[in-house]
Amino acid sequence: MESGPMSVDSSALEPPPVPENGASEQTHGGYSRFELELEFVQSLANPQYLNYLASRKFLTNPAFVAYLAYLQYWTRPPYLKYLTFPTASLKMLELLQQEKFRQDIISPDLTMAMIVEGMKTAVEWHREG
Amino acid sequence: MDKDLDRRFDRIEKAISQMIDALAKNHPSEKAAEELLAADVELTEGLKLLETHQNNNARIQQLRQETSLLDTQIRDMASSLWNMRKELKAIPTTPRYPNGTKHQFTTAELLAYARRISRNTLPPPGVTNGVDMSAPQPSTQPPEPEDSFRLQTQPTQTQTPGTSFNLSFNGTVGTPGPMGSALTPNTTTDTQPATQLPPSQPPKPTTEEILPLHLKPTINPLHDASFHPWPTEDKIRSGGLAAIQRLVDRGIDPRGHDPAEEERKLREAEQAKRDAEERARQEREEAERRMREERERMARERERARQMEGAGAGLDRRDSVAAFGRAAQKPKQFTFLGADDDDDDDEDD
Repeated sequence: MESGPMSVDSSALEPPPVPENGASEQTHGGYSRFELELEFVQSLANPQYLNYLASRKFLTNPAFVAYLAYLQYWTRPPYLKYLTFPTASLKMLELLQQEKFRQDIISPDLTMAMIVEGMKTAVEWHREG
Repeated sequence: MDKDLDRRFDRIEKAISQMIDALAKNHPSEKAAEELLAADVELTEGLKLLETHQNNNARIQQLRQETSLLDTQIRDMASSLWNMRKELKAIPTTPRYPNGTKHQFTTAELLAYARRISRNTLPPPGVTNGVDMSAPQPSTQPPEPEDSFRLQTQPTQTQTPGTSFNLSFNGTVGTPGPMGSALTPNTTTDTQPATQLPPSQPPKPTTEEILPLHLKPTINPLHDASFHPWPTEDKIRSGGLAAIQRLVDRGIDPRGHDPAEEERKLREAEQAKRDAEERARQEREEAERRMREERERMARERERARQMEGAGAGLDRRDSVAAFGRAAQKPKQFTFLGADDDDDDDEDD
């Protein structure tokens, strides 16, 4: 992934089409763009993965930041309903639009805090309600 | 009204005084008496009029009171409406998509989605509640280090592989597991306030703990169950992006590359290769068979030629010919009908 040339112009502007009846165009190593971007946007929910991306200097790459902005189409229908980790994925996607968060997540302390908080929230949110 | 009454009073007073004067002069006047009577009637009418007036006035007062009361009510209502409006306006609206298009969905879709995400948004009840395991049950037994009801996170990239930590949940309080406090160097223990910990609650050894390890899952389906509100590292590593990374590592451009298609092509190529080999083998065998037949045919021809020669040469060579014939007949036994056919063909010729 890091070996590929990344420029702001290289990212696709239109969200991929939603697969209908399970059939989709598999053009990237046997996967469709829809599948890969869905997988990626959900992987972003994992704080450790974000920390890894930050440590590999992805989060400071303008092209990558543009890609993160582009990925916001997952917050809207009809894409929204395909997220199986909706809470964490959407929150992380929202946080990732902020430059400060993109810089801070490289800290292992913040990563660990997010893991612990995320776990606690996932366990306790329904108790409050 | 007052003036009118005053006038009537004046008139009756005047009539009375005239009457009194007339009586005093001992000269009763009929005219004065009539005047007094008329004045009295007039006064009575005036008083009646006054009564009506007073009643009307009272009614007016009452109505005014009612009006003012209703006015107050209206004002109150208006002000409360205004307050309510102000409150409504003060409620912060959702900043995004305030007037966005509404997206239709059916109850079935909603339920299907809820079922799909439920395992990722809420841990199974036994995992967090800890059921009997975390209930305060004083015991002398030390707690088992490998608590089966636990939440486990993956070790981070930057840490050594051994630094995993457990989060076991006692009721509502998250406490660092024994492994976590020993191995996790940083915020895990800091963010889990130790002050909230209930006093040491070593769980009573249950059937599950007494059982050998491999039997535990049979009585507790949640044994070793873990919950993560996000995809775990191994899931990410086994996903499509990782597959593409492996392709890139192998120097293959994933764009337009389909492993299934490639495999199919590879299989086809292998099949074609196998087919070609099979064909080549068959051809080779066919050629060998033809060559063998050719050789046998030639051998038979030679033998026949010798027999012809032998017949013409005389009896002195019969023994040797017979010996040769016996030797030559041996392979003939293997040629079966072929030899006869050949002979027939020869005779036909």
